[in-house]
Amino acid sequence: MGMEQAWVLPAIPVVLFVLIALFNGLMPRRGDFLAILGMATVVGLVFLLLLDFTGSFRAGEFVPGGSNVFAFDWINIGQGFFVIEFSTYVDAITMVMLPVVTIVALMVMIYSTEYMRGEPRYGWYFAVLSLFVAAMLTLVLSGNLIQLYLAWEGVGLASYLLIGFYWERQSAAEAAKKAFVTTRIGDVGLLIGIILLWRATGTFDIQQIIAAATSGQIDSTYLTVSMLFLFGGAVGKSAQFPLHVWLPDAMEGPTPVSALIHAATMVVAGVYLVARFSPVYAEVLVARDVILYVGLFTAFMAGTQGLVSNDIKRVLAYSTVSQLGFMFVALGVGAVGAAMFHLFTHAFFKALLFLGSGSVIHATHRQEVEGLGGLRHKMPITTATFIVGSLALAGIPIFAGFFSKDEILHALISDGPAWAYLVLAATAVLTAIYSTRLVLLTFFGKPKDQHAYDHAHESGPAMTGPLVLLAILATVSGFFVFDQVGEALGLAGGIGALVYLDQPHHFTTLDWTFAAGAAGSALAGVIVGWAYWGGDAKRAVGARSWAPDLHAFLVNRWYMDHLFQAIIDRVILGLASVVAWFDKRIVNETGVDGGAQTIGYFGYRLKFLQTGKIPNYALGMAVGVVALTLIAVGG
Amino acid sequence: MFDRLPLPSQFDRTIVAGGTVVALVALPVVLVLLALLFADQISAAEMVFFLAATVILAGALGSVLLPNVVHAALSLVATLLGVAGIYLLLLTEFIALVQVLVYGGGVVILLLFALMLTNVADDPVVSDGSQKPFAMIVAAIMGSLFIAVMLDAQWGNPAATLVPFSEFGARIFRDFSIPVIVVAILLDIALTGAFVNARTAEEASEPRTEEAAA
Amino acid sequence: MIPIENFLILSALLFAIGFYGVMARRSAILILMSVELMLAAVAINFIAFATYLDADAFSGLVFALFVITVAAAEVGLALGIVLRLYRERRTANVDEADSLKW
Repeated sequence: MGMEQAWVLPAIPVVLFVLIALFNGLMPRRGDFLAILGMATVVGLVFLLLLDFTGSFRAGEFVPGGSNVFAFDWINIGQGFFVIEFSTYVDAITMVMLPVVTIVALMVMIYSTEYMRGEPRYGWYFAVLSLFVAAMLTLVLSGNLIQLYLAWEGVGLASYLLIGFYWERQSAAEAAKKAFVTTRIGDVGLLIGIILLWRATGTFDIQQIIAAATSGQIDSTYLTVSMLFLFGGAVGKSAQFPLHVWLPDAMEGPTPVSALIHAATMVVAGVYLVARFSPVYAEVLVARDVILYVGLFTAFMAGTQGLVSNDIKRVLAYSTVSQLGFMFVALGVGAVGAAMFHLFTHAFFKALLFLGSGSVIHATHRQEVEGLGGLRHKMPITTATFIVGSLALAGIPIFAGFFSKDEILHALISDGPAWAYLVLAATAVLTAIYSTRLVLLTFFGKPKDQHAYDHAHESGPAMTGPLVLLAILATVSGFFVFDQVGEALGLAGGIGALVYLDQPHHFTTLDWTFAAGAAGSALAGVIVGWAYWGGDAKRAVGARSWAPDLHAFLVNRWYMDHLFQAIIDRVILGLASVVAWFDKRIVNETGVDGGAQTIGYFGYRLKFLQTGKIPNYALGMAVGVVALTLIAVGG
Repeated sequence: MFDRLPLPSQFDRTIVAGGTVVALVALPVVLVLLALLFADQISAAEMVFFLAATVILAGALGSVLLPNVVHAALSLVATLLGVAGIYLLLLTEFIALVQVLVYGGGVVILLLFALMLTNVADDPVVSDGSQKPFAMIVAAIMGSLFIAVMLDAQWGNPAATLVPFSEFGARIFRDFSIPVIVVAILLDIALTGAFVNARTAEEASEPRTEEAAA
Repeated sequence: MIPIENFLILSALLFAIGFYGVMARRSAILILMSVELMLAAVAINFIAFATYLDADAFSGLVFALFVITVAAAEVGLALGIVLRLYRERRTANVDEADSLKW
């Protein structure tokens, strides 16, 4: 399979979606095996594609910027005035995204066969997962902005459907609505950005836009504004401040869905988008600074919120928001490689953590850490893999998260302001603290809910298998950073040279002193966490009573949701009532009803013409024929 | 011999009255035309044309003006036969034959059956609609307009090589096979439609009696 | 030879008379008969044009033939409808079938 056939990748799950959605009732096991087989095929194809890609890379045939390898005109209006293509575009960034999306999706699907067993709408669940994968693959492969926008909304739709999978539950339905509406605010920004860029360049092709923008054809203020709108889309999809509020609520969906969509793949679409446009962002430093500070603030804020949350999945959700903030910080200082690398490792260990928490929930039917504890005796495999994931998240050496987070911190201290580095380092320590807290409260200490503890049991192989596999990936995926690993895999110049095509950066010169500092701070975080929440967590309880206001502030998510609700109530609803009045009185009663009444009046008055008698109509017809003939002859 | 075929007296009167009318209208016309022919004012073909035109127009007027529906139908026969004469005059014998067969043989019989099946026997005289004066005015304007337009146009020179009767079948089934098939389907559908329309009432009543019996 | 105008005027008169019948008559069967007059007028026109103006002199013939066929089909179908109307309403007068009016 070569790069020319990359369009096959999204095509397979699309077909599966249709098949499973329509015919799952007729298939054995409601068609889940079909989804998994299709997904496994896609994974295989991705690796074939990777071979082709690295082969052409090694042979020096590869154009650094990638290339449009498949394209046809979808819409063409006015001889090229308005052209929308369907095109696939493969480059290094795509090649980082493809394995992440497909491998995690495959793991999640296998995991779901046990986790979702016996659920109503089981087949529909797998159909929507396929739809999601199709949209996500289209998104990362798309070579033009309209196709990207289409896929962008497609993943949003799949996310909406899956968050609201248990729509009988009020909170799930509301969370789905909230996620959809909140991301939609960002999506409008994205659309505005796309339109602005089209206005300036006359094309939707991403590479042509980048070429036009970097060669200075677009006025710099105009470019800044449009790139900020584009970033608005990323903010919504990747749950950055101020549109981060939907992600914690999105945990209402089934846990494997959280692992796939709300940790590993869909939420990094924003990172992908900014990375895709990184050459342009390098031109507009104002926009890049905005990205840096938004990411920084989000990382810190979400980290503090993760410290106090009681829901095991919500802690992970806050941590996802926080880690996405890390990626945006990296993008904000222009370290695209570091951001993509963190995206790569984060996908594996965060999916692992979510699936581990799903295993816990599956076993105990509890998801508040207040009701868990001591599970390490009952669930050894889950415990071990969860600890691996937490260590990776905390940034302990040899685990994947350490290398990628270190890269980001290093990029920030080299190219960013010093105080930003301090904030981000503090956030890294916070990360270590809350991940330690989560592990301690869930798997160690005494069981707080004896009943749940008694019923707990290790999950079956369909769930533990993906856990172990992801744990291995969460451990080794960090080593890709070393050039030697890349060369051992057959890539001249190492993976660093592949991922950092336009700005070669080799990792062999890992700054060991700096890395030691980062490792030390992570370790310190773990120790602090252990000190506070180890055993019966006496010190943590003490801290809570010492600063109750701060605790309430954090528990209420910095009162962000309250603020938004107030804005909606006061400002938006106020404006809406004015609009509603205008719509009701002027548009509806005068315009629509008035028009209808006028027509109705004339209809009533002219009713006598309609006698219902055929000869009358024939006479009318004859008069018409005579009149037309007179006009034709006389004219 | 006529007492073996007891015709209703009404029908008898119709024949007598119709014959009288035709004679009164046609005889002067025929005489005038014959006189003109012998005076070399018109050719023989023209004489036939005017004769046929007289029959057609008189029959047409009769079929739209006569109050008795049976008289109107019989008057229509005269018109259609006159039209067949016009076709002969235009050297299209085949169409003339078809005209006589289909109209004289089929359509008029069908119309008469329909008249019989409706309430004609009880009430053969049907009054015209209330918009009769308007209809007359509009039809007059229309006819004069058409005549004016046709006289106004330049028709060019006649240039016809007629298709011989013997080649007619070959031409129509070779050059117009698709229209012929379409017309065949149309006829089939029309026949089915007529059949369904005429039968539905009895069909619908049968199951009801069965149900009542059960 | 007879000028073509003769045939055209004859057909125009026939058509006008037929249309008058359609507009003035009440009985559905009489209206049908008037329609037959109009169709005959059209067929005369076709044949006249075919004979006088068309070098091949055949398309017009075929059209006239089809007009006759369609007329026959129309009469058969329409009479079925008239019978139906008569059964439903005990009348064949079209101005009594005015349910089209609301």
